[in-house]
Amino acid sequence: MNKYIIEKIVFWVFRLMTLLVVGILVWILGFIAYHGIQVLSWDFLTKMPEEGMTKGGIFPAIVGTVCLMVGSMIFAFPIGVMSAIYLNEFLGEGKIKSLINLMTDNLAGIPSIVFGLFGMALFVNKLHFGDSIVAGSLTLGLLVLPIIIRTTETALKSIDDTYRHASYALGASKLYTIKNVVLPMAMPNVITGLILGMGRVSGETAPILFTAAAYFLPQLPDSIYDQVMALPYHLYVLATSGTDIETARPMAYGTALVLILFVLFCNLAANFIRSIKN
Amino acid sequence: MRIIDKEILELKNEIAEMFDLVQHQLARSLHAIQYFNQESAKEVMLYEKRINSQELVIDKACEQFVVKFNPVAVDMRFAFATFKINSHLERLGDNAKGIARFVKELDKGFDSNLMEILQLSDMIELGLQMTKLNLDAYLNDDTSSAKLVFELDHKIDIINFNATDIITNYMKENIDEIKPCLSLISTIRKLERVGDLNLNIAEEIVFYVDAKVMKHSKEFKLKNKEK
Amino acid sequence: MSSKIEITNLNFYYGNFHALKNISFTIPQNQVTAFIGPSGCGKSTLLRLFNRMNDLIEDIHLDGEIKIDGKNIYSRNTDLIQLRKNIGMVFQKPNPFSKTIFENVAYGLKVNGVKDTNEINSQVESALTKAALWDEVKDKLNKSALALSGGQQQRLCIARCLAVRPEIILMDEPASALDPISTAKIEELILELKSKYTIIIVTHNMQQASRISDKTAFFYLGELIEYGSTNQLFTAPKIERTQNYITGRFG
Repeated sequence: MNKYIIEKIVFWVFRLMTLLVVGILVWILGFIAYHGIQVLSWDFLTKMPEEGMTKGGIFPAIVGTVCLMVGSMIFAFPIGVMSAIYLNEFLGEGKIKSLINLMTDNLAGIPSIVFGLFGMALFVNKLHFGDSIVAGSLTLGLLVLPIIIRTTETALKSIDDTYRHASYALGASKLYTIKNVVLPMAMPNVITGLILGMGRVSGETAPILFTAAAYFLPQLPDSIYDQVMALPYHLYVLATSGTDIETARPMAYGTALVLILFVLFCNLAANFIRSIKN
Repeated sequence: MRIIDKEILELKNEIAEMFDLVQHQLARSLHAIQYFNQESAKEVMLYEKRINSQELVIDKACEQFVVKFNPVAVDMRFAFATFKINSHLERLGDNAKGIARFVKELDKGFDSNLMEILQLSDMIELGLQMTKLNLDAYLNDDTSSAKLVFELDHKIDIINFNATDIITNYMKENIDEIKPCLSLISTIRKLERVGDLNLNIAEEIVFYVDAKVMKHSKEFKLKNKEK
Repeated sequence: MSSKIEITNLNFYYGNFHALKNISFTIPQNQVTAFIGPSGCGKSTLLRLFNRMNDLIEDIHLDGEIKIDGKNIYSRNTDLIQLRKNIGMVFQKPNPFSKTIFENVAYGLKVNGVKDTNEINSQVESALTKAALWDEVKDKLNKSALALSGGQQQRLCIARCLAVRPEIILMDEPASALDPISTAKIEELILELKSKYTIIIVTHNMQQASRISDKTAFFYLGELIEYGSTNQLFTAPKIERTQNYITGRFG
């Protein structure tokens, strides 16, 4: 009887902990949703900011974030996938591989502000791209690169060797096998990694601080060498250094809500793709 | 000990019991003819039922052995050899019963002199000897006695061969004894069969233990012709 | 029976491990040869030497010769692609690609450069027919191969390897992951195929080996202990160790 009671108590403690975690999450989302939903409207999403950003919309920030997401992926995705293919398919286990994996993990652990400074030093100044979509994308690309590499590597590793062997036994070369058997099978998980990476990128503020983000742009960017507004930076601006913080507060919440919905959408898309595969 | 080895041992014990029954039958039927003993004859007839039921028991056990273990190599040969030895032993018992039946049907015993000349008791003794050798060989997986068994069968064959003339002459001089003499000839033939069946049993044991197929082989026929 | 594969004084090493010791025997054409032996005895290793799948492992070393149709397959000018085209392989767990049934069977053809659609279509049908699968899948060639049952998947893998017209088929415990009915179908298939192909099958199942193979080779700790006709090996093996293994009395 004693053991039974103890077990029940322990399980209830676990349940309460879980509820606590879920509760905190719900509270945060709920708080932001509650305060942000008031401003959410078609106009909010499609108009430029007006009157010192206390009114209007966040359209340029949305556009900017999308540009940066796409830009960073154009850089990070091919390089990341190809690196992962090299690491998993061509490099055998050994010291070199361990070293590369170590360095990739370290790269993933570098604080995002450091990426920002590095990006500023290299892309903005040295290469003379200036504050631009290019610089921002490259910086964000570097940030998300180790994630892409790791998720792709895991996806490739999860493909059992027996499929590769079956392909070789039919006379296929390694490259042909990777292209026609391994990659197609790993693709759902690779895409999942891509989308999660995009979600991550959309919320990063520090890397774009010195490389791409602008406080306010009256028009949308024409070229990749232009600066852009971005959702996370816009949120920061609205909440801390706008002309009229109190009045702009609802806009800040609205921006936060849009950002969260963005990330949520990315996660749902990733889940969806994974469920199609099954 | 593996399960299959335990079951092999059990099967061997069942066959050993069959051997015992058969030896008993042969000994009793010898007693019945030699002393024209109705009691012995009756006993043989009764025991026949036990032999028949034991044969069925062993048949079934062999079937189950094959189904259970799907045996290969020596185990497979064991199963087949045991199956056939069972059948041979049952026929051995049958022959003993046939001999005992003559005793029941006749009014009086055979001429003891004649029996002596015919070496009738020698025949049965040889048969008993062969059976004993086979039992030991089967239980101990030992084929060294096989050669001796072949030789003993040869001796039985000689006695059988001589019997025809002996009885023919006797019948010429004792015309009213023809009926019992016919039974006597039958008895001799049955005892020759006892030798043959024991020979078959020895062949099965050699097949089981050594994987050599002896029957119908020219090799051992020639060997025996030398005698 | 002409010999298809000749193995002479074969010694094979994984690093320092002497996996196969002094193996010499020949495998006849258009017959089924079974490799039996306890786990780790080298039978799968030897199987994979015939289509040089062991080349994928690092730090291996081979002494001796393996000749197929009289040609040493480990010589410098061996065409690996051609060798693998000529030898098909079926694995223990069915491993159809994550593609349609049609694409699976057509894979080998496309690898080897067949482009004509009609050619591909007829070869796919032919291979699936030979693998006794055509009737079951002819209406769903464009469905995923993974939707098939285990036994069907394995027959699909056989069709996949038949499509490239090999002369030799290597099978590594092809039925061990299947239920008895599927196993029986695979065994029937093997018996049908042997008139046109040389088949080598690794198996743990004594009854299976005795049912479908013509010759059996028994391996133990990297050595070839006994090799002979299946009938003779399972009725009266010459070597005691062989008998102990096949009767299940291994110490």
